[in-house]
Amino acid sequence: MALGFFVDVIGRVQSVIKDESETEENPFQPPAQPLYDPTDPPVSVKLFFPSASGDPLLAVEDETIFKSSELTNRALQILQKVQDGPRKGGMFPALPKETKVQEIFISEQGTAIVNFSNTLATNHPGGVESELATIYSIVNSVTYNLPEIKEVKILIGGVEKETLAGHCLLLLPLQMDLSVTNATPRVENTASVR
Amino acid sequence: MVVAALGAALFIFGDRIQAAETSFPIYFPDSKLVVKADVTNRTVYVPIKEIIAHTGLPFTDSVALETLTIRSGSNQLVITKNSALISFNGQIILLPSPILREDNRWLAPVEFLTMGLSKMTGSAFRYRPGTARIFVGNVDVPELEMNAQTLGPITRLTLRSAAPINLELKRDDPLKPVLTINRGPLDPVRERIDHRDRLLRSVTYDDSDGESKLILDVTRDVADVRITPANNNRIFFVDLLRTGEAVTAAPPPTEPPATATAKADAPATNRRVRVVVIDPGHGGMDTGARTAAGSEKDLTLTLARRLRTALQARLGATVLLTRDSDVALDNEARSAVANNNQANLFVSLHIGYSADKMEAASSIYIMKDGYGDASSEAGGKDQLFLPWYLGYKVHRQGSRTAANILQQELAKGISGWKFPIRHAPLAVLSSATMPSVLIEVGNLNNTVNAQTLLETDFQTRLINAMVDAIHRFSESPQAAAN
Repeated sequence: MALGFFVDVIGRVQSVIKDESETEENPFQPPAQPLYDPTDPPVSVKLFFPSASGDPLLAVEDETIFKSSELTNRALQILQKVQDGPRKGGMFPALPKETKVQEIFISEQGTAIVNFSNTLATNHPGGVESELATIYSIVNSVTYNLPEIKEVKILIGGVEKETLAGHCLLLLPLQMDLSVTNATPRVENTASVR
Repeated sequence: MVVAALGAALFIFGDRIQAAETSFPIYFPDSKLVVKADVTNRTVYVPIKEIIAHTGLPFTDSVALETLTIRSGSNQLVITKNSALISFNGQIILLPSPILREDNRWLAPVEFLTMGLSKMTGSAFRYRPGTARIFVGNVDVPELEMNAQTLGPITRLTLRSAAPINLELKRDDPLKPVLTINRGPLDPVRERIDHRDRLLRSVTYDDSDGESKLILDVTRDVADVRITPANNNRIFFVDLLRTGEAVTAAPPPTEPPATATAKADAPATNRRVRVVVIDPGHGGMDTGARTAAGSEKDLTLTLARRLRTALQARLGATVLLTRDSDVALDNEARSAVANNNQANLFVSLHIGYSADKMEAASSIYIMKDGYGDASSEAGGKDQLFLPWYLGYKVHRQGSRTAANILQQELAKGISGWKFPIRHAPLAVLSSATMPSVLIEVGNLNNTVNAQTLLETDFQTRLINAMVDAIHRFSESPQAAAN
């Protein structure tokens, strides 16, 4: 009887330890969820990348994402495409090598807070023009296609930085700026769900 | 415990510990008064009973009520001990610091004169922070500009005054020659210049006794000081000659270039750009763009130095660099140099770097309009306290004009190059409280382009175009808005 009780206790303790070790394997890994459902319809978006000519600063590339019901997922799909770089010629990648979009949070007021890996700053070649191109590739690609997002605040490595690589301010959220592109103001049939 | 007590004592009595007494001349239209001012924690306190007595206004000093009442006709101004609030005909005015009463002396922050007493006397008290003098009413004060330059074996101090002056040299102390200026009060653009070459260390404007003079701090190598007046005693060349060099062998002072004379002929009020601050981008550990051709930090410093020399000769303006050596500076420190020196124009120089080696694009940047608008609205309607990154808002139009003029002159001077104007949220421009632009030239990653940037001939064309632009800007109405 006493032995049985003892075995039972050991068993419980072991199961608790086992549970903990299972969760400790990947404590911060979010559950791997797809960014869209197979049933979500495709929708075309405009992505902004630094142009080869430099005038205008950013050129436009048409891409397709899936119209998932979650705004965050739509924003993440767009940022993924920005991260992957342009497919057409005459344009350059917007983000420095090995840069990853880590998290995104969208506030009720329509501010998207996007966290990038440290390489966004450390691998950046610098220079006013290229910093400006990187920042507005991100800001315009998100805000142009998702009207619910009014402004974008960029974080690097999870923290606020004064500037990207010494020149362009990241202190405040930035709004869309089409003056650096050839794009016309968006029409309302974009990737938003109404 | 002891440390804490000492700390508390410092906290309580710190104000008095830092107090320093300086002579403070006050220039009235037909007389002058030199008072002893207490400078405490950057606040200038002046003894006001002496000043009120000099203006001839009647006053009542009530020891019991701890108030001082000044009368002029039906107007009445009341001040109270230890209070920053003063009452003018029942209307309350807030001074930046409280009024003190010590040993039968009333001490008021200098703003009491400009905000309070001027209402009683009917004439304005003009005070520029950082200076130690006050001008009252329509007293005639020509501006005085000074520049020092090393010209081979000699060092030349150039003085420009808006009205004729007379200079007299006294060398009682060979290391501290004094240039007495025989004229009434002057308004120096800068109080002091630090030159630090082999002959001249610094020049300081001093009128602490009410007499204008310049005190030179020179080295032992100075054998002789030679003064040459020009332009009807409005310009003086003060040449410091070196020991061991025959005085006759020293080159005679040359007349200033024609443009400088023409410029100096114009009244100083027409020339609206008096101080230009040039910011050579990067420095120290922060090399900026770097290729086999060289580093951005070195190239910007070379260009900035050449631009300084050209601007001084052409415009007669005071030109300062945010850095004159290979040191790192943060963005805030750079715009602070311009802000603290009350610059009329701020130009930040950068060299481009593009991932695409073919591209040789240059740009002129100004601060992005509307940056921080949302957050400043959230902070309340009153703009009494402006966040530092919103300093640019004051001179948006001036920055735009400066950028447009630069674009035109650069297109004229450097054919085949394009200089689009871009609006960007740039840290170095955001807190500059004057018209400010950033120029990014060329592409260091393009081998051919990098070679061009290093050519003296190209640099000369670039500098000349920029000097032409700044000269044109100095005559535009936007430059006057400073």
